[in-house]
Amino acid sequence: MATAEPRLGRSVLGRLGSRRGIGLIALGALLLVWIIGGFINSAVYFSPVLFGLSTGAIIAGLALGLVVAYRASGVINFSQGAIATYVVYVYLSLRDSGAYPIPPLPNPVAPFEAIFHAEIFDIPTAVDFGSEMGAFGAATLALLTAALIGLFAHYAIFKPLRYAPVLAKVVASVGLMLLLQAAVVARFGSGAKNPQPIFPGEPVDFLGVRIGQDRFWLLGSVLLAMVALWALFKFTRFGRATRASAENEKFATLLGFNSDFQAGASWVLAAVLAGLFGILVAPITGVSPILFTVLLIYSLGAALLGRMSSFVIAVFAGLALGIMDQQLFRIQLEWEWLPDIGLRQALPFLVIAAAMVFLGETLPSRGSITSGHLPLAFAPVITRWRVISYTLFTTLALGIAVFAPFEFRSGMQSSMIGVILALSLVVITGYVGQISLMQMALAGVSAFAVGSFGASAGLPLIISLPLAVGCGIGFGLIAALPSLRTRGASLAIVTLASGLAVEAIFFDRSGWFGLDNFTKTSAPPSLFGFEFGPNSAFPLGDDKIPTAGFGIFVLVITVLSCLAVMRLRRSRLGEQMLAVRANERAAAAAGINVGAIKLSAFAISSLFAGLGGVLMAYRLGTYDGSSFGIFASVAVLAFAYLGGITTVGGAVTAGLLTAGGIGLVITDKWIYDAGAYVAYIGGFFLIVTAVYNSEGIDGFQRRQFHRTVNWWRRRHGLDPLDSEVTGISEGAR
Amino acid sequence: MSDSVLNTRDLTVQFGGLRAVNSVSLSCRAGQLTGLIGPNGAGKTTFVDAITGFLPKNTTGSIELDGEEVSGLAAHRLANRGLTRTWQTLELFDDISVRSNLAVASHRLTFTGAVRDYFHPSRAEGRVDEVIDTLGLGSIVDRKPRELSQGQLKLVGVGRALASSSTRILLLDEPAAGLDKNETAWFGAQLRNLVSQGYTLLLIDHDMGLVLNVCDYVHMLVYGELVVSGPPETMRSHPEVIGAYLGHRERA
Repeated sequence: MATAEPRLGRSVLGRLGSRRGIGLIALGALLLVWIIGGFINSAVYFSPVLFGLSTGAIIAGLALGLVVAYRASGVINFSQGAIATYVVYVYLSLRDSGAYPIPPLPNPVAPFEAIFHAEIFDIPTAVDFGSEMGAFGAATLALLTAALIGLFAHYAIFKPLRYAPVLAKVVASVGLMLLLQAAVVARFGSGAKNPQPIFPGEPVDFLGVRIGQDRFWLLGSVLLAMVALWALFKFTRFGRATRASAENEKFATLLGFNSDFQAGASWVLAAVLAGLFGILVAPITGVSPILFTVLLIYSLGAALLGRMSSFVIAVFAGLALGIMDQQLFRIQLEWEWLPDIGLRQALPFLVIAAAMVFLGETLPSRGSITSGHLPLAFAPVITRWRVISYTLFTTLALGIAVFAPFEFRSGMQSSMIGVILALSLVVITGYVGQISLMQMALAGVSAFAVGSFGASAGLPLIISLPLAVGCGIGFGLIAALPSLRTRGASLAIVTLASGLAVEAIFFDRSGWFGLDNFTKTSAPPSLFGFEFGPNSAFPLGDDKIPTAGFGIFVLVITVLSCLAVMRLRRSRLGEQMLAVRANERAAAAAGINVGAIKLSAFAISSLFAGLGGVLMAYRLGTYDGSSFGIFASVAVLAFAYLGGITTVGGAVTAGLLTAGGIGLVITDKWIYDAGAYVAYIGGFFLIVTAVYNSEGIDGFQRRQFHRTVNWWRRRHGLDPLDSEVTGISEGAR
Repeated sequence: MSDSVLNTRDLTVQFGGLRAVNSVSLSCRAGQLTGLIGPNGAGKTTFVDAITGFLPKNTTGSIELDGEEVSGLAAHRLANRGLTRTWQTLELFDDISVRSNLAVASHRLTFTGAVRDYFHPSRAEGRVDEVIDTLGLGSIVDRKPRELSQGQLKLVGVGRALASSSTRILLLDEPAAGLDKNETAWFGAQLRNLVSQGYTLLLIDHDMGLVLNVCDYVHMLVYGELVVSGPPETMRSHPEVIGAYLGHRERA
């Protein structure tokens, strides 16, 4: 399968060249200090290493799978952790009750059941094998499931996407992640589980530390897998064929290799590895629906250090990250004077950012741009009909925000905030092609800042709001610095890790900018003595919360934001952004400062993310970091892509679809209450959109509109509308 | 040479143990069409990448533009100083129209300029219209790159480079690649037309026919080394040139 990603090439040490000596000496010195420290106080220095091995082993195990999938198909698989989770839950279900879970399937007669209030067709949720199953049988069935997921991932998702832009692949793997996680929650709930041990767990004394021997078994398993994979890819025909196919699919095919088989087999291998290490590690760490996905961020860092090609570096980097995590945890416990600034959680970001600085390139190398193009960033031609339709749409939104029943008003406010958050992605991803998975973290920075500036410091809205948004922009720019030397899926990983770091540094900590007392509080917005928060009295509409005044405030900001982004698209800066999106090398050769354009885009994008965060803070009143976590960022990207990530219309559509938004309220009230299956259905449609309709719902409806209008015009003897007007032409401005 | 626009001295590009360009010193005179030929793998594109700032870590030696040392400058700064280029693989901006491709290159956007343009848009597009007239692109300005023929795409690439208001020299990397015989001849005529209007060009190509027919002076690169230079009529019968292309040259 052709590698659509830039080839990541040589290892860290190889790349460091002359710096290698200095690095090795520094590493050696650090090791020496640590060993001496270990003999003085083994509890602080040796114990975290041994305990960190279990975490490190799953990081390394997931990293191995990431490298396998990347080497075969050029895809950085964000669903690797979710695959591990799903397989572990299948294993647990078989072990505990002998039930093999069936993922949620659509019920074709559900509408009739809803109408007649009767159950016509009962889709089973599990296949029952009668009684508890032994470890071997359960593991075999669970790993077969992993193999099927691998085959599904290849044939249904990534094979059709092999020439698609990196964004589509990232979104598809995020979709698979959401689908699998939602399937786990739907079948098993969101609680954590503690499986029975697999390895012998009797404690042993080692380096003065008493530790369960299962850690050593686990470490041995990871190292064994590493050696086996290294040998497989180095010495076998399969390995050579996979490398050849990744390098050049056409030539590999001419040499008689079946590239499709290589990629499919590698996906199976990657999924089975994820499942295997999930099953082996779960008895030690426990398992929850999101645990392995959070650990995946560390694995992505480890795999990136190995340039997504070295099994050995990925494993040792993974183990080192696990050990460092435990070491920092222990040091924080021991050294009470050390301020808790979230360093432990920020570690993946620091490691990944450092890797990017060392390994990245300011501009992509020759021949590295081989993937497809992003969808058209349509800038509507402002016709009379468009003005009328925009006005009608805004009036409708105003009507709902003011006069509709409270649950619809609430949905409308959520949708409008969702529009602003999606606009932040239209700028950075749609216009500049930079994939950001930290938008909600930036929103959170501004949300926490507006609480500090507004409620705590008592500053008026006119000062606190711009200051809070400014904080979001500042952090957006800091987190964007690695983007100067990286792009594509690698940047997605960096931003994901940045989001995690921001979450740890701000949202989980008390004090200035952090939590006030387990929660954060914002003061209701007010201007010239007139208060218009969601709880403030307002003369129009009923007095149920949220009141209409806040809806009008959000609507004004949303409309201004949409107009601002539409203007940006048509500006010279917007044109230069599109040039950078199309081709960074050519943009630089045309005199465009690519770094400056990227930073400008991140700043503007952070502005909208910050604005969305501030509005969320006003709307929630009392909040904590859970609304601004990495999964919220992933969800925003998912909705923005589903709506259409390259257009303002797409952002509006994304807002309508957003969780708790007006679209969902209307669906729940009038059509069908999807309840617990919303995330599952969302993940499914995200995959379908990534594979079959990269322009999202907005692009789809534009095409249908173009066809319908021109069909009508032809029937009435009129000339068809120009495709530039309806926005289905690739070159429309 | 006093009227040289571009001078390289001992320009070397090294990738690990491989020296792709080895101590190349050459000049391009103002108002001339200089050619750089060489068989596949000679290091021609690497040479262009090095001059235009795309291989900063691998390049040593001196690059002078209008007598000023410019080695080590970032690619966009070199372009802004007038060292512009086209690409063998085209690398046009596929998302925007031909006119926008040209317009993007004609603007030097500063922070204040971007803010001013955002609030008070101006449709003045620098040298865009002039370049469109010069290259005869009028009929395709509103079309997208993927709707154009290979020859037209090459010309849009040239136009984008020329649209930069400060173009001092244009480096054309393998512009004849992918063109048939007629398109190549037509493209060559367009290049001579540009030279007659005072532009300075460096044409990099392995198509001997094109280079020897249109260039004023020609250099030849083999295995990264500059082996021979001279006017086309001399180069045509030079044993080194014939050897390099027909395989008679023997190397230790």
